[in-house]
Amino acid sequence: MNNIRNRIEHQFEAFARKIYHHRFKTVFLMLIAIGGLLSQLPTIVIDASTEAFLHKTDPALLTYNDFRDQFGRDEMIIVALKPKQVFDFNFLNTLKKLHTELEENVPYLDDITSLINARNTLGEKDLLIVEDLLEDWPETEKQLQTIKQRAMSNPMYENMLISKDGSSTTIIIRTQSRSSMSPENEIMAGFENFDDAIETPTGTERKYLTDEENTEVIQAVEKIVEKYRSPDLPIYLAGSPAVVHFLKEAMMSDMMKFMLLAVLTVSILLYIMFRRITGVVLPMLIVILSLLSTISLMAITGIPIKVPTEILPSFILAVGVGSSVHILAIFFHRLRKTNNKEESIVYTLGHSGLAVMMTNLTTAAGLMSFANASVAPVAEIGIFASAGILLAFIYTIVLLPPLIAIIPLSSKKTESLRKGNRIMDKVLENIGRFSTTHPRKILFVSFCIIAIAFTGIFSIRFSHFPLKWLPETNAIRVATEKIDKALNGSMSMEILFKTNRENGLYEPELLNRIETAAVDFEKMSNKEMFIGKAWSVTTILKEINQALNENSPAAYTIPQNEPMVAQEFLLFENSGSDDLEDFVDSQFSMARLTLKVPFVDGILYDPLEEEITTYLNKNFPDVDFQITGLVALLAKTFNNTITSMAESYLIALVIITLMMILLIGRIRIGLLSMIPNLVPIILMLGVIGWFGFPMDLFTMMVASIAIGLAVDDTIHFMHNFRRYYEQSGDPKKAVLDTLHSTGRAMLVTSVVLSFGFFIYMFASMQNIIRFGFLTGFTIIMALASDYLIAPALMVLVNKTTMPAQRSEI
Amino acid sequence: MNFIYRLIGLTMLITLLIPVSFSIADDEKAREIMNKVDNRDDGDNQTSDMIMTLIDKNNKKRIRKISVFSKDKGEDNLRLMFFIHPADVKDTSFLTWDYDDPDKDDDQWLYLPALKKTKRIASSDKSDSFMGSDLNYSDMTSRNLEDYDFFLKKDIQVRGKDAWVIEAVPRSREVIDETGYTKSLLIVQKDNYYVVRAVNWEKTGGYTKYMDVVTLEQIDGIWVGTEMHVAKKKGRQTVHKTILKFDNVKFNQGLEEDQFTVRRMEKGL
Repeated sequence: MNNIRNRIEHQFEAFARKIYHHRFKTVFLMLIAIGGLLSQLPTIVIDASTEAFLHKTDPALLTYNDFRDQFGRDEMIIVALKPKQVFDFNFLNTLKKLHTELEENVPYLDDITSLINARNTLGEKDLLIVEDLLEDWPETEKQLQTIKQRAMSNPMYENMLISKDGSSTTIIIRTQSRSSMSPENEIMAGFENFDDAIETPTGTERKYLTDEENTEVIQAVEKIVEKYRSPDLPIYLAGSPAVVHFLKEAMMSDMMKFMLLAVLTVSILLYIMFRRITGVVLPMLIVILSLLSTISLMAITGIPIKVPTEILPSFILAVGVGSSVHILAIFFHRLRKTNNKEESIVYTLGHSGLAVMMTNLTTAAGLMSFANASVAPVAEIGIFASAGILLAFIYTIVLLPPLIAIIPLSSKKTESLRKGNRIMDKVLENIGRFSTTHPRKILFVSFCIIAIAFTGIFSIRFSHFPLKWLPETNAIRVATEKIDKALNGSMSMEILFKTNRENGLYEPELLNRIETAAVDFEKMSNKEMFIGKAWSVTTILKEINQALNENSPAAYTIPQNEPMVAQEFLLFENSGSDDLEDFVDSQFSMARLTLKVPFVDGILYDPLEEEITTYLNKNFPDVDFQITGLVALLAKTFNNTITSMAESYLIALVIITLMMILLIGRIRIGLLSMIPNLVPIILMLGVIGWFGFPMDLFTMMVASIAIGLAVDDTIHFMHNFRRYYEQSGDPKKAVLDTLHSTGRAMLVTSVVLSFGFFIYMFASMQNIIRFGFLTGFTIIMALASDYLIAPALMVLVNKTTMPAQRSEI
Repeated sequence: MNFIYRLIGLTMLITLLIPVSFSIADDEKAREIMNKVDNRDDGDNQTSDMIMTLIDKNNKKRIRKISVFSKDKGEDNLRLMFFIHPADVKDTSFLTWDYDDPDKDDDQWLYLPALKKTKRIASSDKSDSFMGSDLNYSDMTSRNLEDYDFFLKKDIQVRGKDAWVIEAVPRSREVIDETGYTKSLLIVQKDNYYVVRAVNWEKTGGYTKYMDVVTLEQIDGIWVGTEMHVAKKKGRQTVHKTILKFDNVKFNQGLEEDQFTVRRMEKGL
């Protein structure tokens, strides 16, 4: 092992020498290669949608797609208005104006419903009327009161179009589920291929409304609504398309702002540490190039940036800075000693090249374990974070040395730097002495702290509640909370009943069961989760039956014989409403039951879904059913995330352990070195548990950065410790030597990066604040465990072995 | 990518707008053709059996058989239909009085044998689907020529016959709301002034509807499309299709006006 290591180190030295001699050529070729890669950058796409969390072949997504193909997009945009008086001439005029303006200007609109055009089914003598509620505009107070009475007594309007207390009313907007090119584009083209056009097979091309198109929709709605909003008429905009949009905006702006601030902080700290412009510019250059290259790779492979993948930049910043700082710290140190650039570069790569390679390979391998995750963005983080690390490694080893060689550098030490170095040396010296003289005490105290942290892990609660990421005063959060309260929910869950036979829905017995299910579901609730409203095709049937029977409320029932059901449907189909297609397929074989639910923590949907499944299994043994809709998808996503993340982390730990053993060459020491790797992660989990932070996708992602950095620190420490231990045979001296060389770079990177992440705590979004705090905390704990626990362990373990035997291995 | 689409869209829009902006009024030739289409003899006192096949996007078919009687009353049209198939709705009948006066809503009655009740259906909208098919009521009635600007686009051949392509653009928002179409392309066969094909752009949902008269027969000297295919499309994808076939088409069957009454329709075929 020792020999192999020596050979690799010599190879790194030879490589450094070669690069030094061909420095201009190397830089030139690297820049061309990077330039080529970066030219793909502009094609990157951003996708903040919930569907984006699932792999394209995920069965839950396929079910959802089938649903969307049949019934259109289930997500609704809710515009809720709270006027002084809903049934007031002035307000209704405003509502109509707003309704019309939205109808005419919102792109990709499929359906817009409000009191203006709500379906109003009634019978008048022999006349059946299916019309818009405000088809005939009220002129007198009496007419207005009639309309009010009609609206308030329609069970279908309650909590959909008007709140139960009658104080708020809504405009519900549904957009198309598929994105389509403007018909104008194909005006003649479609016509010239008329035969093709009419004969093309159905159901081949599948393209759903994109995130970008969703943004266009929300922006259009918001722009119009803004004009009508006033202190007298508060208007709230909610519904999942709006939440997704505003969440994305908030995330993007926070992430961008704080990523830049982090870069700035890191730069300032790097300057303080190195006192050289090059000490700032070079690591940042490497990091930025790695980051842009990684995003280019995503662009080339057609993978969009999704909400969780927004953490990639921070990740690459963390790992990339680490590598180049290690190289630069050793290099500058050596340059001051020798004042010979070539010699310093060769020495640096010989000394740290292998360690940097191992840190990067280990982190990359660890992250690759995410590549199989069932949650798509997590898998993508696995792939592209690994790729980014490898790129950062290549740039650090191939681009950084020739750049150092080309850029003129002074080898002089400034007074302030010298003073700073003296302080740092002293601190490191004290730490080293302390950890090597009191190893047992350190381990005991650490053990106690870890034990306390460990108990915290059991109180970790999982969560996926993107709404709560937003600040409490955020408009969309306020709107969603208000609407959930006033109108019993702003999201929907969908159940599909498939009889698998034509006209299966003509059977009154089945319709009765669906009707009963709706009533039973409305009674279900679990913590903050409840079903605010449940409706299906039976609503239409009851409406029409009532209208056919002199509007008698007693006739608001399902007719109990099959031809009657069939004929009432036929009547409705011909009465001027297309609404049936929102509830059944054209074969009357498939029915949709929609459940209105509030926007709550994703973890709460799953128990509800189980309860529903149990109910359906019991009461519909003869019917195929599926639970779908965006909410179900969300629940599924979240459950996938938990199991998938847990698995990924386990695999990552196994892989990292194996690599540590391989690197160190001994199983026992390899396993021991996992202790300083695991300690910061356990402490982080402990903090999450004790502080009651929700364990969501973002928090889970912190651990990936934590693993990357903790492992880096440990590898640098172990690598150097072994080198110095082999030289001297004295573990205490080896610890001190390690701290004085690599320990310095570890301190620099940890301080720089922890501040870089702590800066995120000034963000507005809760998840980003927690992310910054936890990552910064973990970085410091990783350093602490490699400064204290690792030395303590090494001193204890290596005491019993003879130095002479070591070098033989 | 999206930007390019938008750019292409914009360019196409501009190129489309140029000819329009230079010819704000419609062209005479096109209007003359449409006048002839409107005045073509479409027969009277007609009986036929209609077979309507509805095909959804999963290729599932639904077949309805309807016996149709129709008669002209001045410029108005009376129509009586009896469902023969499927069994659930057998004997359900449907009576329509279609008025020429655009200000007057059509009268429609539906008789439901299971309830033994006739209901008049109030509907002011002609953009609603006709019996769940891809045709709407405005497709079933003739266009009011004064509501549109017509433009002759080009000459083409359809199934070996010469034809004109005419674009019809509604003159007002009301017409769009009423018919549900923002514009149409009509292909008129030159030798008989029959609209053999059409493309309609729907107001909502981004759908286009392609209509094709597949079989055109001369019965008692009158041109009748006896088979017609309609495809409702979104982009390039067909979301729904309707096939309409007419059998036993007969004209001049001596139908009386009193056959087009509620009483008659309640009696059944």
